[in-house]
Amino acid sequence: MRAYLVVFRMRLLMELQYRGAMIGGILCQMFFGLVLTALYRALYAGHPQSVPIEHVVSYVWLQQAFFRMLLATDPDLLDKIRSGNIAYDMCRPVNMYWFYYARIAAQKLMGSLMRGVPMLMVAALLPKGWGLTLPDSPLGLLAAILSLVPGFFCMCALENVTMGFTMRTLDPRGIQSMLNLLMMTFSGNILPLTLFPDSWQRVITLLPYAQLLDAPIRLYTGEYAVTEAFHIIPVQALWAGLLIMLGTGIWKANRKRMIVQGG
Amino acid sequence: MSFIEVDDLKKSFIVRKKREKGKLFREKQTVEALKGVSFEVEKGDLVGYIGPNGAGKSTTVKILSGILTPDGGEASVGGRVPWQDRKEYVKHIGVVFGQRSQLWWDVPIIDSYSLLKDIYKISKSDYESRLKELSEALQLEELMRTPLRLLSLGQRMRAELCGSLLHRPELLFLDEPTIGLDAVSKLALRDFLKWENREYGTTIMLTTHDMEDIAALCSRVMVLGHGKKLFDGKLPDLLEKFDTIRTVSVKYETDDPVLDMPESVKTGRNGDEIVITYSPKEFPTPELLKALQNAGKIREMTLQPENIDHLIASMYKEMDL
Repeated sequence: MRAYLVVFRMRLLMELQYRGAMIGGILCQMFFGLVLTALYRALYAGHPQSVPIEHVVSYVWLQQAFFRMLLATDPDLLDKIRSGNIAYDMCRPVNMYWFYYARIAAQKLMGSLMRGVPMLMVAALLPKGWGLTLPDSPLGLLAAILSLVPGFFCMCALENVTMGFTMRTLDPRGIQSMLNLLMMTFSGNILPLTLFPDSWQRVITLLPYAQLLDAPIRLYTGEYAVTEAFHIIPVQALWAGLLIMLGTGIWKANRKRMIVQGG
Repeated sequence: MSFIEVDDLKKSFIVRKKREKGKLFREKQTVEALKGVSFEVEKGDLVGYIGPNGAGKSTTVKILSGILTPDGGEASVGGRVPWQDRKEYVKHIGVVFGQRSQLWWDVPIIDSYSLLKDIYKISKSDYESRLKELSEALQLEELMRTPLRLLSLGQRMRAELCGSLLHRPELLFLDEPTIGLDAVSKLALRDFLKWENREYGTTIMLTTHDMEDIAALCSRVMVLGHGKKLFDGKLPDLLEKFDTIRTVSVKYETDDPVLDMPESVKTGRNGDEIVITYSPKEFPTPELLKALQNAGKIREMTLQPENIDHLIASMYKEMDL
């Protein structure tokens, strides 16, 4: 267990070194946040929707702040797989899946905190109707933070599925662009899931992608009542479990047909 | 029972070719990397494992280090089968792949070591004494706080070796450890390996293209070619058996010496040097010298030591591969 925690901590510290990437990320995400906010405000000016504009804007900012959790692949891991340096990790007395999982989790966590926290502070200072509003209730905030945990586990598990596929194809781009399309659409990053038609939402909110950020954000804005957390969190946990099982399955199968090329 | 026992080890890879025009599917080709290799190694031995590119050396190392599963055959190291229960097995071995890196690129090497300490569950006191000993022997003390990316190739190789030996493995695999190193680094590395082997009885299996590595380190050498073991024994025996082709470079005072050589001797030019390759069995050395002297006044002559390429080439010829 200690080995996984140590690799997690090391990766956290390493992520802290990349401050230039952090500033670039913040600027980029701030830009997207502003553009999307302006877009939804224009939409609402013509035709108000059932969801209040403040919720939609908060939704956009929270999505942008935690963007790094959704879409960020550790280039070192991909490089290990491509170059065959993964061979070294296979000579270690550790479970490969969890060893990589720890690194993915550290990168996503530190990467998104470094970008998210300053961004949310700025977003909270923006004028009303443009910025992040306070959570619906302190309990709602607590529920949102709690449900972010299984959501986070889901995200890391999804990423490790991509890694598992990369071990087969050696190039992550195909599977990534496919999964990223699903991710961007069904996680609510492009269009808040709250704005999808109700009949769609019934299905979409059950998909794994809605468990990542959509569920915690809705608890934050009060779209979901705090009590609903009791059946949201089990769904999230179920997906986290399933995705981890899928990932470990792929990794196990990979071991049998493993080829380490070159040298 | 020997420490390492390998019996009839087989491994093949499927290579998919580019799809040919007019065909619906890509053709598959099976490449047999190992066609049944057997050997035994005793504890504390220092064994060299040589052969041309693609001979199956690295495949053997990868199988014995638990990375690959063979298609057939058996192997055991210290009573354990490498590809079964990998996690338990790899605690007892260390691996250095000369062209790969196990240390973290962006962090000081001491941090990578401390991660290895936790991965292998080394106790604090043991880790500290071992690290001190290794860093002295490998002259790493000054570099401990330097990130890996700032180290030179030779420094990096020493750092990698240290990482592979922290957990005191019983068996160390070295896959081309001296690749790209300068002469001084090579010598230092060889001295260190000898020391580790003598001090702790660590069994070392070394693959290399550098014949001098073998000559300096290994009491025993195995030659692999086309997935088969071609030779297993002492280096002098190998040299005697296959040392058939020699190369001589000669410079003459005159510009165009006329050489009168039998057909079995190949001559070529390299600048103003004449390069002669011959086999002493077919054309005895004294006769060659006589022929060379007859051609004109010799200014300079070098007899090149046997190199591994010729050796392997002649082995192939002999074994009709």
